[in-house]
Amino acid sequence: MYDLVIRNGRVVDGSGMPAYNADIALSGNRIAKIGRIAETGRKEIDAEGKVVSPGFIDPHTHFDAQLLWDGYAKPALSHGVTTIVPGNCSLSLAPLRAEFRTKLVGMFNQIEEMPLKAFKEGVVWDWETFSEYITRIRKGLAINVAPLVGHSVIRLWVMGAAAMERTATPEEITAMQGVLRECLDAGAIGLSTSYVDMDEKLQPVPSRYADAAEVEAFASVLGEYGRILQIVPEFYDADLTIARLDQLAEISLKYAIPTTFSPLFVNADNVDAIDRVMRRVDEQFARGARVWPQVQTRPIDISFCFAVPSLLFIRLPGWYRIMRFGTPDQIVAAFKDPATREKLVAESAVYNALWPKLRLRLVQTEANQKYIGMTVGEIAAARATTPIDVMIDLSIEEHLDAHFLAADMGHNCDERVGALLKHPRVHIGASDGGAHILSFSTYGDTGFLFAHYVRELNAMSIESAVKKITSDTASIWGIPDRGLLQQGYIADIVIFDPQTINRGEEKYVQDVPGDGSRYVRDAMGVDTVIVGGGVAWTAVAGYNADTRGQILPGEMQDTRTLVPA
Amino acid sequence: MPATELSTVRQSILPRGGDTWQSIAARCLSGTPEGEAVSQLQSWNLHVFMRASGAAGSMRGTNPILPSDVIFIEPPRA
Repeated sequence: MYDLVIRNGRVVDGSGMPAYNADIALSGNRIAKIGRIAETGRKEIDAEGKVVSPGFIDPHTHFDAQLLWDGYAKPALSHGVTTIVPGNCSLSLAPLRAEFRTKLVGMFNQIEEMPLKAFKEGVVWDWETFSEYITRIRKGLAINVAPLVGHSVIRLWVMGAAAMERTATPEEITAMQGVLRECLDAGAIGLSTSYVDMDEKLQPVPSRYADAAEVEAFASVLGEYGRILQIVPEFYDADLTIARLDQLAEISLKYAIPTTFSPLFVNADNVDAIDRVMRRVDEQFARGARVWPQVQTRPIDISFCFAVPSLLFIRLPGWYRIMRFGTPDQIVAAFKDPATREKLVAESAVYNALWPKLRLRLVQTEANQKYIGMTVGEIAAARATTPIDVMIDLSIEEHLDAHFLAADMGHNCDERVGALLKHPRVHIGASDGGAHILSFSTYGDTGFLFAHYVRELNAMSIESAVKKITSDTASIWGIPDRGLLQQGYIADIVIFDPQTINRGEEKYVQDVPGDGSRYVRDAMGVDTVIVGGGVAWTAVAGYNADTRGQILPGEMQDTRTLVPA
Repeated sequence: MPATELSTVRQSILPRGGDTWQSIAARCLSGTPEGEAVSQLQSWNLHVFMRASGAAGSMRGTNPILPSDVIFIEPPRA
């Protein structure tokens, strides 16, 4: 008798080959048989009319902290995501000496917009090494985790405060190589670094004080293990992105490792940039390098209120300085002060086309409820004032708890994004899952891929879309035994309705430690999510207490080697 | 495809430890007077030139160039 049999499903097996009808039998955590299954299972699922596919893999997330209080990475798992990669952008929560906890929390707050209070009230800091962190998150892990280790934290570990000031000495580089080996031995899937990010003092993060030789020294260690290097390039400029991907290509070729850079956006102001970058990607792949650009499926929507700093304002230094360093009372006082307000309004003129289009999402006072759902331009007309004054006045009236939505900020050209997503050398990812929790929902990008680009636009087949977010990702990242529905593979499986799978409406929920809030989206059309052979979530019963998440690729002694694509 | 067959893109360098506008100008634009070369480098690298200098008392001081930067040594191509 099998442990679980999924019957009558339409199997989209992750290979990109045409879908077919079959049953799937599971024994323990693996797929035992695919075909017509005569034997019964201890548990049976009828997948009639549904697609049965490998679990989705999300390669760019920041669930590092959330995993400490939520081993399901909710709601990512409910969207069919069975494996996540945290630790991107040079930031991981280990290895980390106690004296740098505040520093790292500040960086997570600044770069990934994660609330300080959640760290304070949701995290028991009982680890320092990477191995200790892995042990910490293993308990109650319902989703698979393939963690990157961050370059910035390795620098802090070895160099201390000097990591934020200078290049490393040869001795320090050797020591950092040793730390990277320890992390890889303990289960890290690779290393992440960043060329753009700023810390909580708006100074470059430690990884940006590394010269090219230091990055190469790390790459040589990654080469020993065949593991991946992830970077955040200067994505706002095509020439810089190309220079950076050329650097990555040389590293990839010299050390025979895969590399990936994220994000890559379609920018309406410079559509030629994407073509130039992708031509270079194609050339470097033709040389034999592996330089995978990550492209997200969803358009850019940004929500904000002035109670927390928003990256939307990072190009308005006067605004951002107040949001970043001011207390709520100081921010309100600044808005009320005529001289300061005049300066802010003047500085905001560069975005004058944007302000009227902002939509009011949420307020607390009864008096302003009537404006919810209206654009700031409409409210300005009703109040006989200007859009920027509406934004400031509502924020004062709501003591900063007025929430605005800037919708369709970019990456929203269906034709160009669709062409990118199906490009054979584009890696679908960059969700930022678990980060920017008050700016946008980072959940449901996979549902959006199927709903928008497969079903509505017919830009790609369902088989291609599944392949992109399962076996392609497993191959690129060197995750063995996952990403395909094949006999002997680990049973990470999603059952979904191809006619209804989607992301739900973005909604504001209060489920973050420290009474914190975030924007999330519910899954639509996903029926059942199986991790390691166990039912982890169903649309009917929700999350299951039987947790089977694994660390991937796992400690060296447990790891079967799969050379990454 | 050998590297020599890659299409031509805008030329750039990765800085050496302690590089300044002047040292890069001397190395990469040696035929141009220093002042003019520095001005050219700064205008081609606004992503670095416009950056705030280091924190007060930091080793970086007023040099905005980070060891990890990409520095262009020619203007944008048409």
